[in-house]
Amino acid sequence: MSTWGMIKTVFFTGLTVVFFFIIWIKNPFAPHHEYELPEEAEKIVFDPKAAEEGRELFKQNCASCHSLRYDGIYLMSVTAKPEWEKIEKTQGKPIIEEKDGKIHIRGYFVPRDVYEAVAISDLLGLKASFGKIPPDLSTYYLARGPGYLYQFIMDPQKILPGTTMPKLFFPEFDKEAPEKVAKIVAYMRSVNEPPPGEKAKRTLMGVATIGYFILMGALLWIYRKKIVSQMH
Amino acid sequence: MIKRIVDWIDERAHIRDIYREQMVEYKVPKNLTFPYVFGVLALTTFAIQIISGIILIMYYKPLIAHAFDSTNYTIMKEISFGWLFRNIHAAGANFFLAIVYLHMFTGIYYNAYKKPRELVWIVGWVIFFVLLMTALSGYLLPWGQLSYWGMIVTTEIPMSLGDAPILKGLLGAIGETVSIWMKGGYKLEDLALGRFFGLHVLFLPLTLLLLIGIHLFLVRAAGISNPDGYEIDKKNEPEKVVPFHPYMTLKEGAYTMWYLALFFFFVFFHMSHFLPADNFEPADPLKTPPHIAPEWYLLGFYEIFRSIPSKFWGFVAFNLSLVFLLILPFLDFSPLKSARRRPLFFIMFVVLVISAIALTILGTMAPTPTNAKLGMFFTFTTFLFFLSLPVISFIEWGWYKAKGGQS
Amino acid sequence: MEASRRDFINVAIGGMGVVGALGVLYPIVKTLAPSAASSTEAKVEVDINKVPELGIRVTSFKGKPLFVVKLPEGASQKFSYKLNESAKNSAGKHNQEILGDKNVFALIGVCTHLGCIPLWKPQGADISGGNPAFHCPCHGGFYTPWGDVIGGPPPRPLWVPPQKLEGNKLVVGEPGFVERLV
Repeated sequence: MSTWGMIKTVFFTGLTVVFFFIIWIKNPFAPHHEYELPEEAEKIVFDPKAAEEGRELFKQNCASCHSLRYDGIYLMSVTAKPEWEKIEKTQGKPIIEEKDGKIHIRGYFVPRDVYEAVAISDLLGLKASFGKIPPDLSTYYLARGPGYLYQFIMDPQKILPGTTMPKLFFPEFDKEAPEKVAKIVAYMRSVNEPPPGEKAKRTLMGVATIGYFILMGALLWIYRKKIVSQMH
Repeated sequence: MIKRIVDWIDERAHIRDIYREQMVEYKVPKNLTFPYVFGVLALTTFAIQIISGIILIMYYKPLIAHAFDSTNYTIMKEISFGWLFRNIHAAGANFFLAIVYLHMFTGIYYNAYKKPRELVWIVGWVIFFVLLMTALSGYLLPWGQLSYWGMIVTTEIPMSLGDAPILKGLLGAIGETVSIWMKGGYKLEDLALGRFFGLHVLFLPLTLLLLIGIHLFLVRAAGISNPDGYEIDKKNEPEKVVPFHPYMTLKEGAYTMWYLALFFFFVFFHMSHFLPADNFEPADPLKTPPHIAPEWYLLGFYEIFRSIPSKFWGFVAFNLSLVFLLILPFLDFSPLKSARRRPLFFIMFVVLVISAIALTILGTMAPTPTNAKLGMFFTFTTFLFFLSLPVISFIEWGWYKAKGGQS
Repeated sequence: MEASRRDFINVAIGGMGVVGALGVLYPIVKTLAPSAASSTEAKVEVDINKVPELGIRVTSFKGKPLFVVKLPEGASQKFSYKLNESAKNSAGKHNQEILGDKNVFALIGVCTHLGCIPLWKPQGADISGGNPAFHCPCHGGFYTPWGDVIGGPPPRPLWVPPQKLEGNKLVVGEPGFVERLV
């Protein structure tokens, strides 16, 4: 290849790589806001053991306004209805959990239309007092990220001025408040992220797949070289 | 035994003959460069999309009450490996567009759209357009915030006809009718979702399949272009060609493998861009997400639309950029081929590439006045590329004649 | 040397190709695997006090109808049938040999001929000599209350799922007085 050819190749390749790096991996130009997650909170959020406690805290503190259908948590006023248990069992799908080698049902995933039909008066009641229906939080960990959720639950007004979400945790009265909030976030994370064992499996699978294609490409390349040299 | 079965089939289907004619006796230029691989990569990605799409369609439900949950609960949490196929399909869409763009720029660089390959280019452009429609309709299906608002913005675009300097009433009515028809009513609801679902899973992929078939046939019929810009006489210049198999198949096979390695890196380890966070919030018709921009493959056109102050002229400009791309073979009527031999064209090509990149990146940025000015500038340079082509062609006809018709 | 090197590469590429094809098929096939939620269907508990004597209660087990049968004390001696001797269950026995001493037990309610659901006839029919029987309406199969074949085309007795008795709860799907599906 001539020098000029070399320059052109490097130029166009470089341009392509830089472009896709900016667009697909890290875009320094796009507006975005980082929400800081304190170090102690981070430890709890990424600890799968904290999720179980977080679930209880979620039920106590959040479930009067928010559902989390993907883990079978519904508004308290709805689950208190006498017909709810039957609705769950007939309309929902069981959410399975394996504990100590035994399978048990953690809750039921009830389709959105069925749930909203049953809960409509409760949801409209919430809308009347808060201005909007508090969202279902099933996927909010993915939508908002741990930093935002932590900061928002700690002090909703600071992050989203004008929101009707009340402040529920007061570090000045309750020393464990930051820890509790982190546990709730850890719980929301556990609903959206695969459990650690599964995560490790996926990583392994990814590495194996990538390795396979690199090796296969190399083999084809060597094979071609052999054939071409024999043909001349 | 196996040999006898194969012989039996071959006697009737003549597979071996077809294989020999189409693979071994089919000769391609020896000097094809790396970018010629993008066609094969696009084909590979198309196959990946079809396979992963078939699996996703089994569990997806095109109803607004179920669309979001069937995507994020059934596919992501309930079906084993559902997450893998969703990741593959989402990353595949982005890779498909990326490869198609690279393929197009390669075609522009080597002037692969010129005689006798004008039809290859035009069919290719239609593939590109149908692919954009496929991407757009597929993006609606998860029914997240970005899906919903992306489609709302898209259906608003025809409304810009109402800003026209002339025939305001008529054009405005046309724009509004188109917009309402796209949505199937004033609101974007089940009807529209079902419609886009049908288009995305059946009509558009079948159209793509057909168009890709025609595209490949035309490539075979017209012969593959050459980086040096000369047409090779396959009979009289046997030293310049090689058999398609094994030379090209193995080489492109190896490149395909390495491409898949890169693809699966994204599938397993870097999906955050292909499954954007905002789309994990279910669609809410009463709340627009804070930073809404189209997907990256539309950003260039979007930036042309956005940076021009008048909505109507923005609409005209971005449509014009698409049309210019379509009529490229006729804008550029120079007898010379390939940027390697056309210094003026090479310069303008670099201008085009940089403008396209700049427009796309500007599209991701906040709409400040400075950015709008930059957007205007790069819109101008983009059109400069297309409009310079006839001028360059005139100059090159002069050179061509001066050399006595020798290229 | 040259030849063996190329052979090695042929084998390596072929082998890798097979691995790759299997690797693609594996996740595709896995998406078809039964969902975790369906595993809850694999265990059923029935309160035997709610089953009337000489009656059956129908529930669902692994997606199939499950008959919980309650017979009066000493039914084995009281009712006698002329069995189709060649129709044995997968343990090589008649069901009655396994279930005869129980007065509450569960059977899979699917006719072993072509999959219809038999009817419970406590008053019996001619072929059962007036004793209670299951009758399959599709092709006229007859079974004893324990599921053994009396007449008609069924090739084997009704399937018996694993089950155990816990107080007054019959737990189907866990090994007990029936260890496994026979």
